[in-house]
Amino acid sequence: MTAGGARLGAARLGVAMKWVDLRPEIDSLTGAVHTDARFSGASGADQAALELALQLGGTWGADVVVVSVGPAGSETMLREALAAGATQALRVDGDTAMASQDVARALAETFKGLGVDLVLCGDWSLDRGSGSVPAFLAGAMGFAQALGLVSIAPDGRSPCGLSAQRRLDGGRRERLRIQAPAILSVESGAARLRRAALTRVIEARKATVEVRPAPTPVGAPHLAPTRVGPYRPRARTLPPPSLTLSPRERVLALTGALVERTPPQTLVLEAPEAAERILDQLRTWGYLT
Amino acid sequence: MTERFDAVVVGAGPAGSAAALVLAQGGASVCLLERGPFPGSKNMYGGVIYGRILDGLIPQWWDEAPVQRWVTRRCTTMLTAGQALTIDYRTSAWGSPPYNGATAFRPDFDAWLAGKAEAAGAVLVCSTTATGLLRNEAGAIVGVRTDRPDGDIEARTVIACDGVNSFLAKEAGLYHHAEADHFTLGVKEVLALPRRDIEERFGLRGLEGADFEIVGCTGDVPGGGFIYTNLDSIAVGLVLSLPGLAASKRRPEDILAEMKTHPAIAPLVEGAELKEYSAHLIPEGGYDMMPELGQDNLLIAGDAAAMCLAAGIWLEGVNFAIGSGAAAGEAVVEALTRGGVVAQPLEGYRRRLENSFVLADHKKLRRAPGLVLSDRVQSRYPQLACNLAERMFTVDNPSPKKGMVALGRQEIKRSGVRLRDLARDAWTGLRTFG
Repeated sequence: MTAGGARLGAARLGVAMKWVDLRPEIDSLTGAVHTDARFSGASGADQAALELALQLGGTWGADVVVVSVGPAGSETMLREALAAGATQALRVDGDTAMASQDVARALAETFKGLGVDLVLCGDWSLDRGSGSVPAFLAGAMGFAQALGLVSIAPDGRSPCGLSAQRRLDGGRRERLRIQAPAILSVESGAARLRRAALTRVIEARKATVEVRPAPTPVGAPHLAPTRVGPYRPRARTLPPPSLTLSPRERVLALTGALVERTPPQTLVLEAPEAAERILDQLRTWGYLT
Repeated sequence: MTERFDAVVVGAGPAGSAAALVLAQGGASVCLLERGPFPGSKNMYGGVIYGRILDGLIPQWWDEAPVQRWVTRRCTTMLTAGQALTIDYRTSAWGSPPYNGATAFRPDFDAWLAGKAEAAGAVLVCSTTATGLLRNEAGAIVGVRTDRPDGDIEARTVIACDGVNSFLAKEAGLYHHAEADHFTLGVKEVLALPRRDIEERFGLRGLEGADFEIVGCTGDVPGGGFIYTNLDSIAVGLVLSLPGLAASKRRPEDILAEMKTHPAIAPLVEGAELKEYSAHLIPEGGYDMMPELGQDNLLIAGDAAAMCLAAGIWLEGVNFAIGSGAAAGEAVVEALTRGGVVAQPLEGYRRRLENSFVLADHKKLRRAPGLVLSDRVQSRYPQLACNLAERMFTVDNPSPKKGMVALGRQEIKRSGVRLRDLARDAWTGLRTFG
């Protein structure tokens, strides 16, 4: 499959990152979420996107521009990106509650202005987690999209072509051939962000992070919860036992006691054989076909 | 490429940030290294911060320091299995400027102090661990190595404030006699309670805070306990002798759980929700276990130099860390001003510590750790004091009241404490605390 048609035009890669609390506290009684700016930063997926962009930028000799839509605190994250090797960082002044469409529009305007035609980002953010911004961004920029990738590498066939893999259900993978312009979102396991050199960390402290105002919101207002409560597992619906049964039989039927079932097994096997047995059992239960 | 500074300070705790602040204020270029993502991110400390030492560094610091409560109530409690005797002191004077001590969360306090150093010109580098000392061909210390690529930092002076288990001080061979009995294990639970409950249970109003130091709550393990009030949480914990804990084969959290069930403690913590549990080594050996204060261009301060005062009635650490860090910074600034021959920072550092409370208090109270952790102070004297109090306040009519001297004699005899030991401990206590 080929996403998009044109080759990478400008020697510039874009990375969209979101500043989120990596260790939010959730009140177990009320379900209220408490965030702390000191524990905020880029998610593993956004870090993976940055690392892959830096690798591609290194291969192609392209600049890597990092953009975040967020409050002033997100400049810490942007400076870390600069320390890791990004060539430019911009912050669009906004808050973390902005609607996904507005975030995508702000990113699209910024990337277009910079002449970026290949944007990498994490597959979904840790706070909202809908994964909609990459898709909105592709729509706003009119680019092809390849989302939820687990690997990206130059394809070696065309000057700036990419080959990528996407996770599918059932443990399968979809292989993609991608040409810019495109929006790529990656899973956190796709790459591990390099450790920044000390010199760059110190330089990045004083680096300029350009700040731009957020465009006027036009998207649907972000869906806000009307009531916050503690997590409760969803109840399972069970058919009522037959009224013809005795009370004891009905209790047994409701609780599942004394029902014939496959007893647990403990198997001591070599790894390949053990893996095969697990797959067999999953097929038996219908999880694999 | 190597970074070059006048000084590199390793560890952005109170000692390191104070050193960096003084250095930056003195015009020196200084790099402040912190291995956590931000200063204070470890958040183990559970004590009271005595801020008087900050007066000279940050005027009117109390207007901006991120404290939880100002301690206006100081209680020293002796516990036995079913008894409690408390010396309860409170004063409104400690609840207004310039204050005395405060409870605080170290992530807030350390970040604030490091921010002061940064604002003065220090270069704060977080998420970076100093992995060793950087030496030149002649073997002299010329900086530190870090765990980052191109991570060497050259500096005329290294100030190691890297905590109780200072790898830099160890690498330099400054610890000559670090034994397990020089350390205690501090364990702390942060328990969430509504602010109103805290104020009712501890008799507090507004930003008033309470500090409970407890002896006799650690079973057969020498140590002590504490309770400190934050705004809407309390810190409850123990400080346990390492050899004693190992010999008892008990888990510290079990001993802490036992303390919380004591009739005098249970009503204070009842219904609280556990938010956090942490543990940390504390260098409590006192003056006699202190390592060398430095070597050539290396100075050590704070917990790295064992500057934690555990003298029973006085339990202080952050002020000693700030004091020693500031002294190290001043010594380096002085050396730089003079052109800095190699030995100058260390000489100036030692002189400053000896002339200040940092070493003076430790020297004066050098016998305190042995006395405080002795079996008699840990269990027999609390039992004796509680029994004596019980006899004094028990009304057993129709028997007439006994005289205090007679009661004292009876209880001393009953406790099994020999008068000779009592007199010796009294003399040691007088020499130590007098």
